[in-house]
Amino acid sequence: MGTKRKEQREEEIACEDGSSSDGGDAALGRFKAAFLRNDFGTCANLLAQLKVLLTKFPSLPPSFQVTPNAVQELSIARDIYEHAVVLSVKTEDQDAFERDFFQLKPYYTDTCGVIPSSPQEYPILGLNLLRLLVQNRIAEFHTELELLPATALENPCIRHAVELEQSFMEGAYNRVLSARQSVPHDTYVYFMDLLAKTVRDEIAGCSEKAYNYLSIADAKKILMFSLDQELNEYIAEEHPEWEIKDGCVFFQKVKESQPCKEIPSLQLINQTLSYARELERIV
Amino acid sequence: MTQDVEMKEAQVQPPPPSNSVSPAASPSTLQHLKEIASLIESGAYLKEVRWILRAVRLTIMLRRKLRAPVVSAFLCFALTPGSDAHSKLSSYIPKEEEHDMEVDTATSGIQGPGKHPLPELEMYCYMLVLIFLIDQKKYNEAKACSSASIARLKNINRRTVDVLASRLYFYYSYSYELTNSLAEIRGNLLALHRMATLRRDELGQETLLNLLLRNYLHYNLYDQAEKLRSKAPRFEAHSNQQFCRYLFYLGKIRTIQLEYTDAKESLLQAARKAPIAARGFRIQCNKWAIIVRLLLGEIPERTVFMQKGMKKALTPYFELTNAVRIGDLELFKTVAEKFSSTFSSDRTQNLIVRLRHNVIRTGLRNISISYSRISLADVARKLRLDSENPVADAESIVAKAIRDGAIDATIDHANGWMVSKETGDVYSTNEPQFAFNSRIAFCLNMHNEAVRALRFPPNSHKEKESAEKRRERQQQEQELAKHIAEEDDDEF
Repeated sequence: MGTKRKEQREEEIACEDGSSSDGGDAALGRFKAAFLRNDFGTCANLLAQLKVLLTKFPSLPPSFQVTPNAVQELSIARDIYEHAVVLSVKTEDQDAFERDFFQLKPYYTDTCGVIPSSPQEYPILGLNLLRLLVQNRIAEFHTELELLPATALENPCIRHAVELEQSFMEGAYNRVLSARQSVPHDTYVYFMDLLAKTVRDEIAGCSEKAYNYLSIADAKKILMFSLDQELNEYIAEEHPEWEIKDGCVFFQKVKESQPCKEIPSLQLINQTLSYARELERIV
Repeated sequence: MTQDVEMKEAQVQPPPPSNSVSPAASPSTLQHLKEIASLIESGAYLKEVRWILRAVRLTIMLRRKLRAPVVSAFLCFALTPGSDAHSKLSSYIPKEEEHDMEVDTATSGIQGPGKHPLPELEMYCYMLVLIFLIDQKKYNEAKACSSASIARLKNINRRTVDVLASRLYFYYSYSYELTNSLAEIRGNLLALHRMATLRRDELGQETLLNLLLRNYLHYNLYDQAEKLRSKAPRFEAHSNQQFCRYLFYLGKIRTIQLEYTDAKESLLQAARKAPIAARGFRIQCNKWAIIVRLLLGEIPERTVFMQKGMKKALTPYFELTNAVRIGDLELFKTVAEKFSSTFSSDRTQNLIVRLRHNVIRTGLRNISISYSRISLADVARKLRLDSENPVADAESIVAKAIRDGAIDATIDHANGWMVSKETGDVYSTNEPQFAFNSRIAFCLNMHNEAVRALRFPPNSHKEKESAEKRRERQQQEQELAKHIAEEDDDEF
């Protein structure tokens, strides 16, 4: 339904300003149809065409010219980029996601007064937060978070990402994994699956420090494997230094800091000489 | 945020009374202003920037005494009545019927010092009017006036104007901030910064960079702020206030980007370098510094919260610190809720959320020190983890704390225990040696910085000028001083 309305709007613009969007309406219609069919190849082709067509709209960022069609042009452009972001998730292309998201972002931040806010805004912002979390870009995660108003944090999509980050930092990995069941949007599943992999690596890293050994059954449970086979493969691939014997996994302890037996003479000489030099400068 | 600016403005310390302003009786404000004007003139003739700097400082001292009649009388004195600048500026001053005595004496002697007023003097008039308007809370007029001054400034390229220009930039941004329209001038500020860079006006660059950072941070645009900051040219600071502000903004950016160690350093330095009178600014610095230290796992000392004049403002943060120190999640939650309005107005809410993790860590560390062996179920209960599966949560949280080096322990999964390791004797390692070294390095560095910060009279390193030249120069100076003194006499 929404799609149809947007198509109509696109047509209206095409009538009013025929030269600027030749065939744009047709392309947009076909793009959305392909999008609903999950025909990703066609989508990608049409998207490229649409993006070129968008460059002819004078009211888009960064120029923000005030034209009579500005509202429609901005809404259409935002709509296209929102679709592009979701498309990149569906095709599991993280680089494309980042690119499209950055193109979309000005429509959320700089057009508040011009067009009404999009219902897709928070789901997509939440998706971006999740992506930053998966890619372990925590600093950027927090930078993005600061941009959101206090009310946005109430939104389930945003809260989901924020709570995930907290659990992740605390080390409550169970909560991270159980959050997969409560995703606010079906596009989130892709990133949640990626997150599960990150979490497994984290758990493995923590386990080797925290335990002396684990029984194979426990190790399987902690690392979320259902078969011994999978566990063995994982250990062989990621942590060949772990040892399996007597039905247990033994972790190789990293050597702890031993009480020092010898005096680090070279370092001490260096330090003492530098003190002497500095003191001489003072006195 | 506005509070600290006000504080910073008020804190500019008056210099010790110089010979130019040391009359026996306290003369009228207008007379003071005239003396300042002559100071600016001589500064402009001699290309002595420091005189103009002093003039600006003296003006701040007079700030509270500024009244409409005084300002308009001064405008008539400094600018030719009827000239473009004069009519423009006096339109901002409200007309008042009442005339007090000092104005009557002043208006009788309207004689412009010259046909073409110096650009320095014109800019000074702009600044005076701006200060007056802001103090009178006429923010829209201040906005118009500051925009006009900036437009005029673009056409003046004189190094002696730079000091005044940097003040004007500040009031320009400040008046827009007061009317809550900072976003409008971002493009202008960027253009001005470019202009200042091209003119090698370092004070202007410094001021504008800070204004831009403030502008970005006002809208929480940390990404843009950091990009600008990292690309803008840096040089030795010219003004202590601007440097303090820069450090504060830098600290904020770094806090958001999780670089806590660097953030702590800049925030503490900013708090330390700020003048005593800038109370609001120091409170802000301290608030942020406290949170950053908590995030780093440090507990700020009690003296931090007991600093003079800050006790009340820092109370929420004191209680927060207490909750983190005890490691009690429930207490932490209550404090965070109790003061949530304070935290959100300080814009530290998101940072407080980050602290939850530290509360758990501290709690865990306390447990690990107290017990040599404790069941994970007890750990979960002591930490008050409320979730469906507290034991599993506790286990993974403990595991992560062990990996991050927060506690020294192992987990016995089969029995569900956490076994703390014996704490080794730290004096048998190299640790004390490292700590000692870092302290010595800090002291030596401090000494070196102090030496570097010493100021010497300019040109003292150059070869001594010949006796003849010196005599010539002194004669010139005397003549100039006499000339100025005569001009002063003329007015009355």
